[in-house]
Amino acid sequence: MKTIGITTTVPIEVLLAAGYRVIDLNNLFITSEDYGKYIEIAERDGFPKSSCAWIKGIYGAVLENEITEVIGVIEGDCSNTKVLIEVLKQKGIKVYPFSYPHSHSLSDVKKAIKDFMSLFGVYETQVELIRKRLNDIRKIAKRIDELTYIEGKVNGFENHLYQVSLSDFNGNIDEFEEMLLKKLHEIEKRSPVMRKVRLGYIGVPPMTGDLYEFVEKFDSHIIYNEVQREFAFPRAENAKDIYEQYYDYTYPYDIGFRLEKIKEEIKKRKIDGIIHYTQAFCYRAIEDIIIKKELDVPVLNIEGDKLNHLDARTKFRIEAFLDMLSDLKGC
Amino acid sequence: MRILGIDLGSREVKVVLMEDEKIIKMFKVSTMSFYRDYCNFDGKIVVDLQKLSIKDVDIAISTGYGRNNTDLRKFEPINEIKAHVYGAIYQSGLKDFILLDVGGQDVKIVKVEKGIISDLELNDKCAASCGRYLENMANVLEVSLDELFKHYKDPVELNSTCAVFSESELIGKIAEGVNLESLCSSVNFSLYKRLKPLLTRFKGRKLVLSGGVARNSALIKYLSADYDEVISLDYPQFNGAIGCCYYGRIRSKKE
Ligand code: SF4
Repeated sequence: MKTIGITTTVPIEVLLAAGYRVIDLNNLFITSEDYGKYIEIAERDGFPKSSCAWIKGIYGAVLENEITEVIGVIEGDCSNTKVLIEVLKQKGIKVYPFSYPHSHSLSDVKKAIKDFMSLFGVYETQVELIRKRLNDIRKIAKRIDELTYIEGKVNGFENHLYQVSLSDFNGNIDEFEEMLLKKLHEIEKRSPVMRKVRLGYIGVPPMTGDLYEFVEKFDSHIIYNEVQREFAFPRAENAKDIYEQYYDYTYPYDIGFRLEKIKEEIKKRKIDGIIHYTQAFCYRAIEDIIIKKELDVPVLNIEGDKLNHLDARTKFRIEAFLDMLSDLKGC
Repeated sequence: MRILGIDLGSREVKVVLMEDEKIIKMFKVSTMSFYRDYCNFDGKIVVDLQKLSIKDVDIAISTGYGRNNTDLRKFEPINEIKAHVYGAIYQSGLKDFILLDVGGQDVKIVKVEKGIISDLELNDKCAASCGRYLENMANVLEVSLDELFKHYKDPVELNSTCAVFSESELIGKIAEGVNLESLCSSVNFSLYKRLKPLLTRFKGRKLVLSGGVARNSALIKYLSADYDEVISLDYPQFNGAIGCCYYGRIRSKKE
């Protein structure tokens, strides 16, 4: 089976219909023990200090894992991806661009996905069959999410992990489904753990996975992972076709649409405060201005760079933030 | 509801009593005499409220430099930064601001958004950027602090980054014949210059000053160039103790 790497969530149904094994390069990068080495490779090849660790990590991961084909999302995600795939192309890797149209109109989304399908020579009916199959798995992930914020049986890190993994279904849908079901059964049997402060996490998935465990030390837990949850398409069941499904995806379009969904979740999940993670050198850090204005719960912006764990200063800031949030909730 | 807040400083202990959200009593005693004359030790430090002429306290909260010495019996200790933020919220009525607290021995800068700390920086390692530096320099110049704080015009450069070297540099300037006003301005300006790099991460619109330097009008003048508004709290030295009371109030409301 041919393998293809993706730089962020794309209409995976199309790639599966075309017979590919799909690997999310972000996951490949961040779960690797060699994550630091991947960044190194990119810097040695000339990537500037001032480019984000994800871009460099993806680059290193592609080369080191001998990935030969890559989809780069050049609109709706990161403009740096545009040039990343050009560099990859020069290295002999076959690259395909994909765009989420900024207009966020259904007809433009439809056109983008249709183009994507013809690029890989697959038909809508094939794609829809796969979509149905995937939606069964998405349902399990959604259930795990509910078990997090309603029943308190899943911790923040697990929630993050099982949502984020749906960007590529860990490269094998059947195995992934089996693993997820097993996990679900185990989780259902757990006794709930409720913590005092209910936190939401928004922004790109963190480089610093220890964040989840760290906040728990202060009787707080993350019960909402915004982008990770979007990767799992929690509203996929309501979409009548693939176009609608990807139209209803918040992350790659304008921030207004994203904020609408975030606000709904804050209300539904009774969230006390938000941790907004941004990556050093990422344009998304500027979005913090809008986010802080729009959300009426306290927002803490933390920034990750190359380390895969929280630095002392960030820990200190999180602690102070949570301490005061906790006061507001009562002792 | 009567709430007592005590801020155990390194040289002075500040005491504030609040009743129904209003401050009804406020005084300070030297740290030495606080422990000697108003406290007993019985496994833990016990404050003799009678001697402090305070009665009928419902909630008592303490804070202080370093957590250990805030541990008074029957008091709930809270972290010093938080105490100062609550004090500033109570005194200024603001929810979004940057707090600069220059104490005798340390500097705290805190960013507060929606009433909650979102960023902070502490400097308790360098004597050259805190209040004690100004006191030493005032001593060298043989002027009072109030006098020192008045002058901001025509500062000459004091380049030393270290408090000890600054003293000899200042003496050098005296010897060169620089006039007293200018020397005072120079001292204030050198403090400003040392605070500035600490403040770079804390750009914003409103800067609230607490601690001893809130009275330093020269410093306020310099800082005004960097912020839309620089606000000095009415009771900068009592800010921590006021914050204790305010915290007590939040706590009692939620219970
Ligand atoms: S974190 Fe920002 S800069 Fe980095 S890859 Fe993602 S969108 Fe691009």
